[in-house]
Amino acid sequence: MNSQTNSPALFFEDLLDDPANHLIESAADQEKIPIGYTCSYVPEVLLSVEPLIPVRVRAPHVPGTEVADIYLSSVICSYTRSVLELAMDDRYHFLQGWVFAASCDHMRRLYDNLKYLNPPEFLHILDVPHRQGAVSLSWYTDELNMLADRLSDHHPVRFTHEAMSRAVRERNEFFALLASIGELRKQKHPPLSGTEFQAITLASLVTPRQTLLPKIQKFKESLSGRNGISDYRARILLVGGQMDSLGFIRTIEATGGLIVADHLCTGSLPAMRPVSMNDDPMQSIAAHYLNRVSCPRMMEAFDSRVEEILKSVEEYSVDGVVIEFIKFCDTWGIEAGLMANALRKKGIPVLCLEREYQLSGEGQLRTRIQAFIESMGK
Amino acid sequence: MTSTNGRYYAGCDVGSTTGKAVILNETGILSTAIVPAEIDPEQTARKVLAKACENIQGLSGTDDFSFLVGTGYGRNEVPFANDNVSEISCHALGVHSCDPSIKTIVDIGGQDVKGIAIGDDGSILEFAMNDKCAAGTGRFLEMMSKIFRMDLDAFSSLSLEAKHAIPVTSQCSVFAETEVISLLSKRKAPAEIAAGIQASVAKRSFTLLKRVGIRPKLTVTGGCSKNKGLIMALEKRLRMDITPLPVDPQLMGALGAAITARKKGK
Repeated sequence: MNSQTNSPALFFEDLLDDPANHLIESAADQEKIPIGYTCSYVPEVLLSVEPLIPVRVRAPHVPGTEVADIYLSSVICSYTRSVLELAMDDRYHFLQGWVFAASCDHMRRLYDNLKYLNPPEFLHILDVPHRQGAVSLSWYTDELNMLADRLSDHHPVRFTHEAMSRAVRERNEFFALLASIGELRKQKHPPLSGTEFQAITLASLVTPRQTLLPKIQKFKESLSGRNGISDYRARILLVGGQMDSLGFIRTIEATGGLIVADHLCTGSLPAMRPVSMNDDPMQSIAAHYLNRVSCPRMMEAFDSRVEEILKSVEEYSVDGVVIEFIKFCDTWGIEAGLMANALRKKGIPVLCLEREYQLSGEGQLRTRIQAFIESMGK
Repeated sequence: MTSTNGRYYAGCDVGSTTGKAVILNETGILSTAIVPAEIDPEQTARKVLAKACENIQGLSGTDDFSFLVGTGYGRNEVPFANDNVSEISCHALGVHSCDPSIKTIVDIGGQDVKGIAIGDDGSILEFAMNDKCAAGTGRFLEMMSKIFRMDLDAFSSLSLEAKHAIPVTSQCSVFAETEVISLLSKRKAPAEIAAGIQASVAKRSFTLLKRVGIRPKLTVTGGCSKNKGLIMALEKRLRMDITPLPVDPQLMGALGAAITARKKGK
């Protein structure tokens, strides 16, 4: 499958080469406050309240995790290790705070080690319920209020009704634009590849969104002049947790599997839905993030996650589902097997791919993907 | 040997350790070849195809094939191939063409080990393969045989002499080497250590096979299928017989590729 080598999406890819890009650094120079976060249960919209900027913490091109390996046990995932390694090298110096969610034990250990080894100027961990419902919502809303109080105590930010409403409005507008580009992937010959879409999505997680907005609008306009992609062998839905490696997605697409939809922790169709506001903005935000369907850490929501995937399979004319997860991921390690069985029972071909955070073993990855596509008769 | 209608179909399996080629006509296998791998996968492909062509009068080179399919880890580096297919599909198809009653394959090659469940039509039902680690592959056995200052054939024969196997518990090739050297320095019987190494590879294959499901009949393909000590260790671990194939099991990838070439080239 031909990739768009001169794609305007290269602009977005360039923003992903380092933990910090020039746009976030220049925003910091203009009195903006970048706050890092590592989990989708940290409401990034709350970290968008002026002058905060949310930055999803990534560890691109980490050369190895020798130092992190000293402090973390051998069954901690390579994303956790990679982040701690770069944190020990002060590669996140541009962040003026970190917010974690106690989403899994690995993230808790990252929080602990960061606090012990290289404490940032602001560090907070949210206790997120594992269940949905009224009691959980009340708990989670309290957690967010505590986070807002701590942020206000430490940084010049005020979580007023107006400030939060504005952040929600801008977030909804931004994701509406992104979702409208995602919709184009439903076409038989989509005008953009999964690699391009993920480049934009990931860039939006690590760059001030308002700076990116005109670039994304321009990119969307450029798509109307393109011939759709037709030289693919199969339409793939990519499902999984942390996935911020374009190399991984590019390898799948180079083997003929066009990724037409994604349900990822770091770039998910369900995550782009608008936040609905009521009179209590904090509770509205809590409800949106608690109730959206995404992560296997949530109990009693497995059937909903399967339903969401089945819906996308139909809407995006998906031929097969690839479930990817990082080795030693407790939540996805269990979810992948159950999810694969549930989808196969519905007649959907599934490939489970256990991987490391950094792309490695590219040849074997290509063999797996190609065999999967061939097994579908494509 | 020649083809009656002048049409030749070739499969070229460019592996990490060897290159394999099979040339077919409409009715069956005309020629096969196996050569050690070169540094450049393209050179391996050229060399093995040239060797396979030597057995067929009037067939001078790759231009004479009606259709050529590349497979193996170097499949993308065969520029003269008309198409490439993953080795997983090719092994399934190759084995199915030899014996349709076989439902499970373990392919132990130079740097990969794969478990493959095949359907009634030779298609892949499920597969699993090792990750980037070389444990449980031919490369691992090569490393181990070097400790014994033997080639793989002699190492295999040595392991068959053992009455008991001394467990080698390290999965990592580097740690396993240290463990084996340590056992040898304690004057443990080399044959029993060799049998332990074979058992550790068999165990690794077994865990991979459990992921795809073990349905009889089962066969072993890839270069390691020629290691009798390993086959015995596998039979013991699986508690079932391994079904022999009528064609050299190392050629299954190339055979599957050639069968695909014949389908596509008709």
